[in-house]
Amino acid sequence: MFLVTLLQSLLTTLDAVSNNPTSSNRLVVRHKSGLAQVLPMSYLTYLKAQPEVESATYLQWFGGTYKDPSNFFANFASDETTLFQVFKEEFGASGVTEDQIQDFVRDGTGCIVGKALADKFGWKVGDVVPLQGTIFPISPRLTIRVIFRGTKPSQENVLHFHYKVLAEGVPRMKGQVGTFFLRVHNADQIPRLSARIDNHYANSASETLSETENAFNLSFVKMLGNISAMIQGITVAVLVAILIVTAGTMSVAIRERTTEIAVLRAMGFRTGLVLSLLLGEGMLLVGGGGIIGVGLAGLAAGGIRKGVGASVPFLEDFSLLPSTMLLCLGITFVVGLLSTFIPAYQATRRPITEGLRSIG
Amino acid sequence: MNGDAIIKLRDIAKSYWRETLEIPVLQGIDFDIPQGGYYALMGPSGSGKTTLLNLIAGIDRPTRGSLEVCGYELNDFDDDELAAWRNAHVGFIFQNYNLIPVLTAFENVELPLLLTPMSRRARRARVEEVLSLVNLEDRMLNYPRQLSGGQEQRVAIARAIVGNPDLLVADEPTGALDHQNAEEILNLMERLNTDLGKTILVVTHDPKAAHHARFQIHLDKGVFDKTVEVNR
Repeated sequence: MFLVTLLQSLLTTLDAVSNNPTSSNRLVVRHKSGLAQVLPMSYLTYLKAQPEVESATYLQWFGGTYKDPSNFFANFASDETTLFQVFKEEFGASGVTEDQIQDFVRDGTGCIVGKALADKFGWKVGDVVPLQGTIFPISPRLTIRVIFRGTKPSQENVLHFHYKVLAEGVPRMKGQVGTFFLRVHNADQIPRLSARIDNHYANSASETLSETENAFNLSFVKMLGNISAMIQGITVAVLVAILIVTAGTMSVAIRERTTEIAVLRAMGFRTGLVLSLLLGEGMLLVGGGGIIGVGLAGLAAGGIRKGVGASVPFLEDFSLLPSTMLLCLGITFVVGLLSTFIPAYQATRRPITEGLRSIG
Repeated sequence: MNGDAIIKLRDIAKSYWRETLEIPVLQGIDFDIPQGGYYALMGPSGSGKTTLLNLIAGIDRPTRGSLEVCGYELNDFDDDELAAWRNAHVGFIFQNYNLIPVLTAFENVELPLLLTPMSRRARRARVEEVLSLVNLEDRMLNYPRQLSGGQEQRVAIARAIVGNPDLLVADEPTGALDHQNAEEILNLMERLNTDLGKTILVVTHDPKAAHHARFQIHLDKGVFDKTVEVNR
């Protein structure tokens, strides 16, 4: 059940990536050909002019590393003035003040970092962070102006710096950007807006693909393949294996006690009572194993967040939800019931005299 | 035989079936055993002794005939009623003791009482009483693996009598014991008969064991042969 619990938790974690409630009213506009392509910055004027749009910003994945290539984390060249407007839930929840934002806006080489990232490298406000570009041939030295908290651990492992740093350091990026993020007044308006934007730029040199932020995030998960089906497939295979092993074990355990069962029945224990006792015992054994498995999975969750989460960002939010734990415990008891019932039923239907004859 | 018989068998027959082939094990068995009797069922292997004991103890059903034990016609009972009847009226003693290995001597003896409405305190007192009767009051917390064969059989006897049944049935109770332990068990069973008035029906091959009974019922090829009074 350890493995089943981890797999189901992975599934809920992935599900959360594509079902973030604060992302539901944001639209991402990117190049239709893929994330490696850029869009003209001039598109921003049209995008901001749409009546459904409350605010708009743009981000470019920078892909820099800190000191060592293994120190990988999300870092973006972003528009310092509109970033906080579009992502106001995330930054608003962190308690970032207007003065802090202005510190960042005023400092052309300033940056903001999430608390988890700052804690990981021991950074504090005022520290200089040298970023080594891996996609772009620049290595900016950035001064931390804000350390913010996110609503989830994955939101805290990110760094934003001024887009101007990238545009001035990399001439080809001047007037170009990877993605636009639009905040709309009402999530219901997104499908219509999305269609209008993509139609507007259809047959242009840089066609767009507009999608909700949740769908955008899901596209990264989908890069791993149909992971949901894969996880469910593995879960089913593991459960079938558990069922076979448990049923075999319970069958042997009950068969070894054929005489005991016959003696109990001879003494006057009714068949139904003996069946209940055997089922209870089986459920207790399997349930105990399930509780230990779920407990160990709970302990392992922290290790997964810290260990695997460093290289697979969405796993920074890996956790065991109470509903997942209850589901896995429920599965455990169903497995216990299924694996015990048939051998227990057969054992209690056997004639007492036959059971007594099986004495060695 | 007399009118206050605890066991009344009338034209009892028992057959087993191998596909369509009927294999008769017992045929036309008729006899009574009075309350407080001590009877040994004897006969060669395959004569139907154990089958007859199982029918009388209510753990098997006859193919034909009337089987009245402790005042009840056993054919009238369904399985659950028969289980309740066994708990109230029959104590079993097996050749291999058949104690539950994960339970202590005390807990093994207490088992039949768990089906009764007795309070925990009353059960404890009763278990201690019967363990004392079989001289095992100092071993009540021992597990079966910590007891000798003779002691295990005495625990099994305590378990058989703890519910104060009218009838004790024993299938080769000394078959797994050495001579000395066998003698102790037979003496104990005799005391249960004489002192407590228990009706005892024992299946045995052993003439010495049979000699402790008051009467011997002989079966031959599934048919009642004769009843012999034991001369002492």
